[in-house]
Amino acid sequence: MNCPYPDTLRNQMELVVQLIVYGILMGMIFALIALGLSLIFGVMNIVNFAHGEFLMMGMYIAYLLSTFLRLDPLFSLPVAAGAGYILGILSYRLLIHRILRGPMVAQLFGTFGLMLFLRYLAMYIFTPDVRSVKQGILVGKTLSLGWISVDASKVVSAGLCLIAFAAIYWMIYRTKLGRALRATSIDSEAAKYMGIDTRGMNALAWGIGGATVALAGALLAHFYYVTPTVGMLFTLIAFATVALGGFGSIIGAFIAGIVIGLIMVISGQLVSELKFSFIYAVYFLVVVLRPRGLFGW
Amino acid sequence: MRRFLLDIFSFDDRPRFERVGFLLFLLVLLIFPWIVTSAYGRAVAIKFLLFALFGLGWNLIGGYGGQVDLGQAKNVGFGAYATALMIVWWKVPFWLTILPGMVIAAAESFAIAYPMFRLKGHYFAIATLCVALVWKELFIFWDWTGGARGVELSIRSGADFVYMQFNSPIYYHYFIFFLFLLQFFFMNWFRKSKLGYQVQAVRDNEDAAASLGINVYRTKVVNYTITGGLGALGGSFMAVYYLYIDPDAVMPLDLSILIAMTVMVGGAGSIWGPIIGAAILIPLDMYLGAWLGAQKRLGIDFMIYAVIMMIIAAKEPKGIWGIIERVIKRQKR
Amino acid sequence: MMLEVKHLRKEFGGLVANGDISFELRQGEVLGLIGPNGAGKSTLFNCIAGYYKPTSGKILFEGRDIAGWPPHLVTREGIARTFQGMKIMPNLTVEENVMIGAFCRTHNREVAKKEAQDVLERMGLTPVAKSLPPGLPIAIQKRIELARAIATKPKLLMLDEVAAGLNPLETKEIVQILQTIKEEMGLTLFLTEHVMEFIMTVSERVIVMAAGNKIAEGRPEEVARQEKVIEAYLGERYAKGR
Repeated sequence: MNCPYPDTLRNQMELVVQLIVYGILMGMIFALIALGLSLIFGVMNIVNFAHGEFLMMGMYIAYLLSTFLRLDPLFSLPVAAGAGYILGILSYRLLIHRILRGPMVAQLFGTFGLMLFLRYLAMYIFTPDVRSVKQGILVGKTLSLGWISVDASKVVSAGLCLIAFAAIYWMIYRTKLGRALRATSIDSEAAKYMGIDTRGMNALAWGIGGATVALAGALLAHFYYVTPTVGMLFTLIAFATVALGGFGSIIGAFIAGIVIGLIMVISGQLVSELKFSFIYAVYFLVVVLRPRGLFGW
Repeated sequence: MRRFLLDIFSFDDRPRFERVGFLLFLLVLLIFPWIVTSAYGRAVAIKFLLFALFGLGWNLIGGYGGQVDLGQAKNVGFGAYATALMIVWWKVPFWLTILPGMVIAAAESFAIAYPMFRLKGHYFAIATLCVALVWKELFIFWDWTGGARGVELSIRSGADFVYMQFNSPIYYHYFIFFLFLLQFFFMNWFRKSKLGYQVQAVRDNEDAAASLGINVYRTKVVNYTITGGLGALGGSFMAVYYLYIDPDAVMPLDLSILIAMTVMVGGAGSIWGPIIGAAILIPLDMYLGAWLGAQKRLGIDFMIYAVIMMIIAAKEPKGIWGIIERVIKRQKR
Repeated sequence: MMLEVKHLRKEFGGLVANGDISFELRQGEVLGLIGPNGAGKSTLFNCIAGYYKPTSGKILFEGRDIAGWPPHLVTREGIARTFQGMKIMPNLTVEENVMIGAFCRTHNREVAKKEAQDVLERMGLTPVAKSLPPGLPIAIQKRIELARAIATKPKLLMLDEVAAGLNPLETKEIVQILQTIKEEMGLTLFLTEHVMEFIMTVSERVIVMAAGNKIAEGRPEEVARQEKVIEAYLGERYAKGR
């Protein structure tokens, strides 16, 4: 390619573009991760500490299917989504609906306890060893687009996240079920009087939340380590994303996801040990300075 | 003066069985190292006392204050590093390193409290997580604190009361027991003090508290600051007990979680809660963990604990102590 | 003059909750505030008590402008209030609840305890002193809230719908208690209420608000006959029909 700029500057530009692309790709994955959290919060005003553990479960499903059944990790996506959905509904029916009416501290304990349970269950079953998915169509391959090279897995993951995001968005804004969900999130009492099964809606929100984030986990497994403790990190990233985008806003989650992705990548380039610190700092600054986030209520 | 001492040491407002129970508890701990001679048993007792210590401090913000703080490990870290670095760099005697550690932790808590108390509930909890994680990453990143390699304290021979290093766990047992008693009696004073009452009033209903002349914001900040200082005390002990500290040992997320969990399950907001919580979790963790760990299966102890926590969240937010109190009340009828 | 409210205005975004309110309250008076729902009574109350910051205007308490002061400072100045929704501290005993009020004026626990016990005695609450508030009947809980406010030794006591939810007998009890305390402590009372019988009998003077403004002021029986007042509550037809 004929480039009029001197080499070092060209390298720097390539690096910047590479980073931006990478940031956007990661950002779309973060957006999907945050989506479930935002949905659950929007519908029933409870914050799910266990969010990242569902993701972790998705990662392990991908790992197990790929390692023991020798299936391509892509096949694990629907399995992970299904498992996430089931786990979400189970969590709601067994625990969450009992603590919704209680004091807020109890709600915090409740999802916190759920987080601990899942985290240490995974640690018990899988041990703290770090694992990774080693084989698959996308694993370890790179795509070259011009002079940018990106991991194939990241591109496809981002693409799938985008599709999943759009699907959820369509469901929420264009279907009757979605309207019922939205009604429940605006005013659950009124929704009940309208004949909407609010408990069913709550469970559904948990189901979708669990499914989307487990799906994201299965995608992440293509290129990220699988350990039992990875959940908390992504819970926090999800929180930062949702806070920035605005709790309850789907579009906000998308845009914020991309922003967070970019922040992580750029700060990772500058000071790699602190790359997550920047994200935590974002959460802190956002909730203190602009609690509504960009688009929230 | 006399009244001040009475406030610290008297339990007149608690029912008799509690006072008797506590005395028995103290007695058992006093003679414990002479009854249980296994090194492991003694280590369990020391760890129990350490976490009871942590729990008592955390109870201030989490129990009496009603704000779930998931970042206490940062304060532990401040205390541990202050002690370790002062000993290693300047050979400062242990007892002189405690105060600087507590002051640093309290100062940081004070500074961070102002923005943080704009938040409530879940948002506050997550913010405390974020702050603690940022500090941990900073400590790993900084070279002058040893980075990820940590700080190692040199081993001294014999019983050294200047640097609090001993070759027998018996000394450490009474050492941590002493610190535990210090903090326990502080808590006893606190819960009966004006500040203690105001903190609880703010927890129960902020608007009402404000209408009764309480500066809600300032009360929360003061409470959080004190909690920070208290956390550092346990950290200082950790430095001289383990003789090696690094960010993963003294400031990890798991420690914050463990501290909060212990108190929440035992009974946040009561003076016995942290002790009960530690009395259950630590032996559970150490014995079950050791047995399972030998078979490379970690995590069951925490799983059990997590289930307990979920049940408590659904049924009795006041923890095990709350259950005990309820049972007693029912018996009285 | 204990309290002078001068041209108080409070806006919430585009909504004008209090347009231009002015009135005075003399020491020892019992002033009532009535008006249909949405009139802005709570807003006025909360502005004076410090929970809202007025958009403009002055609130002079014993000569000092306390507009915009936070609630805890307002209480320390000498204005206590009760709440419509009853904000009791559920995890503290009745006695401890009242002690919190007493702590406003002292640092000493023994003194606070004694004060609290005194107030509880005067309010007839001593039998429940060591109980926890949740589960106690509403009438008792209202008295607890009253006791708590009184423990702060106020000069002006503001009562927000204190008779709400009480049956006629309980209402009579509250009236008696209020009258007793008022005399014993030389209090000035400012009440807002929907229960007409209660407020019209207790108040010496009444202010009527509607749609964010003061529309009438005067003795209860005078005010009840005014056309504007009837119109505000029942609509134009009834007002004209008289």
